[in-house]
Amino acid sequence: MANIEINGQQVEIDEDGFIVNPEQWDENVAAYFCKDEGIEELTDEHWKVINYLRDYYQQFEVAPMIRKLCKETGCNLKKIYELFPSGPAKGACKVAGLPKPTGCV
Amino acid sequence: MAEYKGMAQPSRAGEKDMRKIHMEPIPDELKPEKALEYLDEYRKKFRSFVMAMESCTKCGQCAENCHTYLGTRDPNNIPTNRAELIRKIYRRYFTLEGRWFGNLVGAEDISLDVIEQWYSYFWQCSECRRCAHVCPFGIDTCEVTMAGRQILHWLGITPKLHADVGGAMEKVGNHTGLPKPGIIDTLEFMAEECMDEFGIDIEFPVDKPDADIMYVPSSADFLLNPYTLMGAGMFFKYIGANWTIPSTVTEAGNFGLLFDQRYTQRHNVMRLLNAAQNLNVKKIVWGECGHGWRAAKMYVPSLADRPIRWDITHLHDEVAYLINTNQLKLDPSKNSKPTTLHDPCNYVRACGLNDNMRTCIKASVANYVEMSPNGADNFCCGGGSGILFDDKEMYQKRIELSWKKAEQVRATGIGKDGNGILCAPCSICKAQLYPMVEEHDLGVEVKGLIDLVGMALDFK
Repeated sequence: MANIEINGQQVEIDEDGFIVNPEQWDENVAAYFCKDEGIEELTDEHWKVINYLRDYYQQFEVAPMIRKLCKETGCNLKKIYELFPSGPAKGACKVAGLPKPTGCV
Repeated sequence: MAEYKGMAQPSRAGEKDMRKIHMEPIPDELKPEKALEYLDEYRKKFRSFVMAMESCTKCGQCAENCHTYLGTRDPNNIPTNRAELIRKIYRRYFTLEGRWFGNLVGAEDISLDVIEQWYSYFWQCSECRRCAHVCPFGIDTCEVTMAGRQILHWLGITPKLHADVGGAMEKVGNHTGLPKPGIIDTLEFMAEECMDEFGIDIEFPVDKPDADIMYVPSSADFLLNPYTLMGAGMFFKYIGANWTIPSTVTEAGNFGLLFDQRYTQRHNVMRLLNAAQNLNVKKIVWGECGHGWRAAKMYVPSLADRPIRWDITHLHDEVAYLINTNQLKLDPSKNSKPTTLHDPCNYVRACGLNDNMRTCIKASVANYVEMSPNGADNFCCGGGSGILFDDKEMYQKRIELSWKKAEQVRATGIGKDGNGILCAPCSICKAQLYPMVEEHDLGVEVKGLIDLVGMALDFK
């Protein structure tokens, strides 16, 4: 665990660099995680994925099935990898402020 | 920390995560003496471990049979040398020659460096037991890895991935942290997908009381493996089963087997038995998960705290029985792409699923090519025992550890036109192979076995 400072706010991140408290997430945090991911600027397509993940997580406390993410956002898996080079779990979930998915994923 | 004095290590769980799974981390200065105490306890309890410590003649048979050594060429990844990391300590403190002659007989004092070496190398082993399979003395070196990991866990050193899985299991009853509403939402989505793609109307019942079958899927299926869930659903629909999925243990895996057999593994067994009793089911059917099936089939009877009232069978056994008795109509032409089977280590070297998997796949695909070697001789995918780490150094290891598997897949020729199917009916194998078939550019798509059975079922 470590604290990092993002725009004056102390944000706790875990050993894998994911946010510990999802309620601390905001657009500045997303922009910060983007740098790690090699994303230069968040486009509308990025936000479509991020917003879907956040809405789903707020409702179900877990990330959605990847197939559902693709279907609901209209982005196929290849597109998701283009948007978030580390992929849906380690890239998109991280930028969206979800905890890292655990288990055999 | 992903490295210690040049040795790659998975990122480890913090104190908070360890406390969630009931371990109080030991301060560094006390770790060496505690490690000895735990090693002493372990050797007094497990004859299999003592046999590995006392009987090895260093014949070297295990070296070229280990995919980890073949992929990394690191001498410490030769199974007997990996065992030596703990044997040198065992010899120093628990044998006469070691106490008298010390390093003259290869004995070494315990130290923090040795413990860190254990953490690096016992977590590069896949616990696949191919070394045990070829050992002329029958030494199961996997038991040494298990001992090493258990002692490390008691010291408070466990990969974050495994500790988080233990925590999620305890919190919600599955490894991926799916609460019941999430389980139901995903299964409703699967029902819609079955209708859209196959035109079949399926219900995925959750916590339905008095069902005949309690189906225990891998929770990874809910994130990554839609066709495994749909395949199982279509199979149960086809046979007209009265079945249900339990929300309190939506998990075929049991990571306790892999890092903490004393508490975590045992706790999961009780959870399973409670679910079967509360739902009043007649039988338990296991989903696609290699280590989890070993944990269920081979360990539940000895770890359970009560008599077992239920038959516990594997989904592939159920399918194979119905195929062998001509009760399933399968149309292999629905799966026409060239297909090979990767045998999950725990299925074939621990659970005898070899023949039944082949019965299922040969009846479900039109163009089946056997991999070589296969069955009990097969090589691990490189992710065995859940070493699916993605920090940079360990991810690089995963690529090296899957080198032998990649060579085997290439040799089948199924990917030469870019349309092969690599059937890998285990969640760890799937999670390892999804990225690895890309890293090694194999021209194949990874699928489960019940996925292919489901697609081949002829509902007409």
